[in-house]
Amino acid sequence: MSSRIEPLAPAVSSPGAVSLTRGVTATWWYTLTAVLFIEVMLIGAWVGFVAAMDFRVTIVLVVAVGGLLWCASTLLLLFDYRHRIDAGPGVPWRRLAVPLVVAVAFGGVAGVLTGSWQLAVMPLAQSLVLLNWPRGVRFRVVVAATLLLVALAFVDSATDAPGMGIPTWLPGAYAALLPGMTVSSLWFWDVMVTLDRARASESRLAATQERLRVATDVHDLQGHHLQVIALQLELAERLLPRDADAGMEQLRAARVSVDEARQGTRDLATRFRSVPLSDELANARDLLRAAGLEVEAMIDPDAAAAPASALGPVIRETTTNVLRHGGGRRARLALTRTADAWRYEIANDTAQGARVGDDGSGLEGVRRRIDDARGTLEVHADEEEFVVVVTVPSNAEEVR
Amino acid sequence: MIRVLLADDEGMIRSALAALLRLEDDIEVVAECEDGEQAVAEALRLQPDVCLLDLEMPGLDGVQVAERLNRAISTRCVVVTRHARPGVLRRALASGVAGFLPKSRGADEVAAVIRRVAAGARYVDPEIAADALSDERSPLTDRELDVLRAGRRGETTGQIARALALAPGTVRNHISVILGKLHVGTRQQAVLIAEERGWI
Repeated sequence: MSSRIEPLAPAVSSPGAVSLTRGVTATWWYTLTAVLFIEVMLIGAWVGFVAAMDFRVTIVLVVAVGGLLWCASTLLLLFDYRHRIDAGPGVPWRRLAVPLVVAVAFGGVAGVLTGSWQLAVMPLAQSLVLLNWPRGVRFRVVVAATLLLVALAFVDSATDAPGMGIPTWLPGAYAALLPGMTVSSLWFWDVMVTLDRARASESRLAATQERLRVATDVHDLQGHHLQVIALQLELAERLLPRDADAGMEQLRAARVSVDEARQGTRDLATRFRSVPLSDELANARDLLRAAGLEVEAMIDPDAAAAPASALGPVIRETTTNVLRHGGGRRARLALTRTADAWRYEIANDTAQGARVGDDGSGLEGVRRRIDDARGTLEVHADEEEFVVVVTVPSNAEEVR
Repeated sequence: MIRVLLADDEGMIRSALAALLRLEDDIEVVAECEDGEQAVAEALRLQPDVCLLDLEMPGLDGVQVAERLNRAISTRCVVVTRHARPGVLRRALASGVAGFLPKSRGADEVAAVIRRVAAGARYVDPEIAADALSDERSPLTDRELDVLRAGRRGETTGQIARALALAPGTVRNHISVILGKLHVGTRQQAVLIAEERGWI
């Protein structure tokens, strides 16, 4: 159990969402590595093949270096594929021109030097497969590329272009398989992204259903109160000419009913609104900063474990007090963990004479809650500083 | 006498509130405006002590009016709202609003707040403060919020990159992280969510 204190992180997100985001990112790197690995292996196979054919060293080097360059250029296409969600419809040819030109140049040079049609076409075919095609079109592109590469493999072996006695089918077959393997990796990535979205929209759906339930409750509640108010007003209307006092009484009662209706609606709407204590403190810090105070905030990293039902109202009340009385320049917020208790402290410098009259009345309600949780509340006020310190036992939630 | 300017686009509420405030001995309603632009113009002309501004008005909203007035004259602004959207209190405090109230408060309470604010104090309604404290925190970093802000009107990735002096690739990277964190498919959806929750 760590009692390490950290300055408040600028943005706190739910840990589950973060780890899932990480999982999706990891899958992306896995996909990228898989595609790149297939490409590098293929270039390796071609280099080995060309070397075995006893071509000059320069040709081997051209195939090797050009091949690696081409692999690097496909990285651009892969990154574009990942960020395609943000791109408009269609293929952004201008941004993709560089990798495609690299593919054509490498294919052209390597094809001419080795005399292989398949090596000439393979880089461009692979680069085209990596583009962000619409679903049906991509399938056709892959089939066409595969068929073309298979056909060219036959052309190569028929013309005996690279030479005699060497198994030409090996890199050829590998090259023909390339588009299919690449697309299956990309497909896996697409499935992953779709699953992730489905999970997110499922939780959104649950939230929407909850909202619908609340809407029904609000409707019932409002209907009831409106009926009561209508009756009270009608009664007042009848009473006022004869008995003014009784009529006024009904008008006041109607106002009370309006307040009740409003409060009931608000309670319904905020019933499910609760955020972790650490978020509440971060919001408090942001609000005080926005109000022009210099804020020092320290929060225990596992503040989420602090008893929220006891400390939440304290945080709300004390922050509102600092905001309201205002006039100060500095504030200090801290939620720390001691051996068996949580300690919350909020301090602000008081402007001269700013705190007259209504201090404490809000804190009294808070004090009752703290007593229920067997905690303590201390208020220190002097000319310079107003400090509220609350301690609540760590196991307060179980006591309640 | 405290000279007060009222701005609310709902005529019934505006005139009822003005009539109720005129019943107070120490408050004089010097202007009733039906939108933000008019409120700014009238306030600059009349220099009231306190401006009571509705948050939801067509054109300039209450906080924007307060921001403009605070730059120009020494009036104190109180913002009134029916439903405080997330982030709005933070925005209001940052632009120097002196008071923030829900519309449901009675005219006597509004008058009391006007007096406090006119005396130089600040007033934030506890209900609004409680709501603001339970706002959902943004999971996005400041840089990611900058990217969303720069692209909120549908600017292209290139335009965002130029506006923030970043490489287009970096912007695309930020965007895909944002989409992942918010679990949405497009930048437009991300902008909508961020605006709805008061992050940008």
